[in-house]
Amino acid sequence: MFEREVEDFLEKLRTRREFLKVSGKGVAGITVTASVLNLLGCSNSDVGSATAVVTPKGILISDQSRCVGCQRCEMVCTLTNDGKVHPLISRVKVSRNFNYGTELTSDYRNKDGYFGNFLMTPETCQQCEEPKCAEVCPKEAITLDEKLGAWTVDESACIGCGACTEACPWNMPTIDPEDKKSTKCILCGACADNCITGALKIMPWEEVAAAFKRKGYRFS
Amino acid sequence: MSNVTGWTGKMLRVNLTTGNITTEDTMKYKEFIGGAGIGYKVIFDEVAQGTKAFDEENKIVIAVGPFTGAGVPCSGRTNITSLAPTNPYNAVTDSHMGGNFGPFLKFAGWDAIILEGASKTPVWLKIEDDKVSLEDASHLWGKGTVDTSNELNKVMGKEACIASIGQAGENLIHLSSIVNSVNHSAGGHGGVFGSKKLKAIGVRGTGAVKIAEGKAQEWLKLNRYMMTDIIGANNQHVVPSTPQPWAEYHNKGSRWTGQPALFWGAAEPPVETGECPQGNPNKVGLRTQKAIFDLGDVAEDRTIKMGGCHSCPIRCQSNLKVPELEKYGLTPYAASTCIGFINPGTVMNVNWRGTEEELVIKSLGSRLADDYGIWSNYGQLGRDFRYVLNSGKFKKVLSEEEYNSIPWDLAESEDPAFLLEFYRRIALKEGEFWKIAQGPYWLDQEWNLGDEYWTGYGNNVWSKMAFPKHHSNEAGAQVGVLVNIMFNRDANSHTHMNMIGAGLPLELLKEIAGEVWGSPDAFDEPQNYTPMNKYKAKFAKWSLDRNFLHDSITLCNWVWPMTVSPSKDRNYRGDTALEAKFFSLATGIETSEEELDLAAERIATLHRAATIKEMATIDMRNEHDIIPEWAFTDAKNPDAKPFTPGTVIMDREDMQLALTMLYKEYGWDEKTGAPTRATLERLNMKDVADELEKLNLLPS
Repeated sequence: MFEREVEDFLEKLRTRREFLKVSGKGVAGITVTASVLNLLGCSNSDVGSATAVVTPKGILISDQSRCVGCQRCEMVCTLTNDGKVHPLISRVKVSRNFNYGTELTSDYRNKDGYFGNFLMTPETCQQCEEPKCAEVCPKEAITLDEKLGAWTVDESACIGCGACTEACPWNMPTIDPEDKKSTKCILCGACADNCITGALKIMPWEEVAAAFKRKGYRFS
Repeated sequence: MSNVTGWTGKMLRVNLTTGNITTEDTMKYKEFIGGAGIGYKVIFDEVAQGTKAFDEENKIVIAVGPFTGAGVPCSGRTNITSLAPTNPYNAVTDSHMGGNFGPFLKFAGWDAIILEGASKTPVWLKIEDDKVSLEDASHLWGKGTVDTSNELNKVMGKEACIASIGQAGENLIHLSSIVNSVNHSAGGHGGVFGSKKLKAIGVRGTGAVKIAEGKAQEWLKLNRYMMTDIIGANNQHVVPSTPQPWAEYHNKGSRWTGQPALFWGAAEPPVETGECPQGNPNKVGLRTQKAIFDLGDVAEDRTIKMGGCHSCPIRCQSNLKVPELEKYGLTPYAASTCIGFINPGTVMNVNWRGTEEELVIKSLGSRLADDYGIWSNYGQLGRDFRYVLNSGKFKKVLSEEEYNSIPWDLAESEDPAFLLEFYRRIALKEGEFWKIAQGPYWLDQEWNLGDEYWTGYGNNVWSKMAFPKHHSNEAGAQVGVLVNIMFNRDANSHTHMNMIGAGLPLELLKEIAGEVWGSPDAFDEPQNYTPMNKYKAKFAKWSLDRNFLHDSITLCNWVWPMTVSPSKDRNYRGDTALEAKFFSLATGIETSEEELDLAAERIATLHRAATIKEMATIDMRNEHDIIPEWAFTDAKNPDAKPFTPGTVIMDREDMQLALTMLYKEYGWDEKTGAPTRATLERLNMKDVADELEKLNLLPS
């Protein structure tokens, strides 16, 4: 079972990374199983709590079990990218899920969020293979920046219509109410760089390869 | 107002009598920074002498400063200022809460809310950015804080932060709190909300908090420097509690409990705290495993994670899985810290055993207290209960019927179910029992507890001002006492205590004390203190001033100031100018450490002036700054003498000298301890001097 999980993951990584290199298109988020996380040195149990996004720099891991809800990622994101503290337009989103997770239900005392089981839900842009945000943009203002390996917004073209927000299944791009421009993750890494518990973390490709190699898996 | 940064520049004024809601300019209070500073100024200027806490004429000010919402580490605080029902004179106090409320208020565009008047029917205040309205709260009256929040989240959206009172505040119980986000509670002013029929404030903000133009990169650099070189763990303890290869020092009393093979054991998968060495900003949040510190080793497997406030990298709130709570009709989760856990432990007399049973009692009690909105008065509620119980007084003051209705056997057998009775009877104001939560002064008025209650060691009541001690003579001898005499509630001042408990060797701490306060003599070896000197007066004043600054700017004084650091390269020096550096970047007003300390002194002196006005006497030395009898006796060693090793027993004459020296440092009248006109004018508060003179309350 474990072998298969790891092989599956490696296969996905290989193809997605190859895809990223060759086509210049984005790659979708991959759910990382606990076994794989364990192999990467991220955890030590058989229950999964993390998701990962494959990026040119490495794997961006967001780990629910480590997120403490301090929301410093949102502050650092917007200070870095916007020069102000503005959680609404943060490209990583935690505060909106702080109380009740992604949804307020009648059973909220047993669900995710501080009013329930305390679990936080940090959300990051998935840098989708075929991003809806770019697809619906009437000005084609969202394109892949090959250097960054991220879908980015051309502010001069953006008209702030909010179609990208609506189209994204997770409503991640957000229109800044002040300058009416869409804000979207460019994989700058500031959130992970400043995460106080390592709940958000970019594992560089060299480290990923080394971790697999230590366990006898081939990965280049 | 467009170039105001740090602050939003706007405050709300809500008149609950008329329903009028107006906007004011924050910048008229700029010299008072924000938070408590704004609170004291409004109360001093606008609330007449003789007003009582629950009078319609009382006002309550909920305010934050330029740091909150601006991302400064440990700035997720909200300061609440009003007359306090617990105080014998109903003099002014602050209550403080963490959580999300303060930052969210800023994101909605507001630095402060001034609430005045009183509604005839229950209302709640809805703040959605600049859309502010009073709404009917009849359907919420009688609900706990969690249900209230949930009801209002259904109206405002799941993201909104709700601060509310529970049943205790509605029923004007003195020991009531205002609670946001489940367990972030501000103690002492819940009843003021209740008296105004204000059930809750909901806030949702979509705006930004600006920092000075073009300063984001500098801000990020300063933040990184603080996170790698300066910050430690909870209470700014700067060494780990266990020996670790990277650490030159360790100290088993340290709250830096993170260590290899210690986990958040109920996380899925479990998260190892591990080594969290200085220099690694991605592990700062793992340094404080507070659950084992507060509840013992049994708490490790119950820890889902460490929670805490907005913006804070020091996670001091334990988020626990406690399935036993389901037996009492609650969900299997609990969250609290320190005194929130200790108080129910005191009620049940089970503290510091480190057992599973104790953990369940503390979890249950903290949950009930936060939901009913009951304040522990820094644990005095539990001590008062034990005192009255042990003295056999309940039998005398309760009717036979009420006495017999209380399941005392549950208390005796340490059955957690007793807490259901304990907290419900208080919050719902049942019979006479609830009076246990009126605070020492009023409780004594009602039940005549006798001299032993006030003077007994271990009962912890600080003088006739009727609040409990909070890091007093056991914490820096005269310095701790001077910090404790200043306020109208328990001192929420941790500046001195954090330094004392930092975990570094005595010689290093004395060296640092010498650099900050002028002489190593400012700092004594614990349990072996020396007679009063002026450096201790400077240490005490600095501790107080930074506390007033933090409550105004708004920062957590449980972590700040950064007097020491975990950095060996810095020889463990902290950075006491860090507040000024962040202030300059946030507001764009270039400000030195000295200038900010002067503002702090202004706020401290305004607090003194407000106290004098409310007590209607200038004789602070004899009427306010009273040192309890128990501080002059050593219960364990009746023959102990001051200034000898092994005791913190104080000397009467030395303490009067200490008061004189502190007054002198502040430029207050050395006989009475009241601010003089010259000092008030030096601090740019001529108007305060004029008002005090009018009331005949200026020293000659």
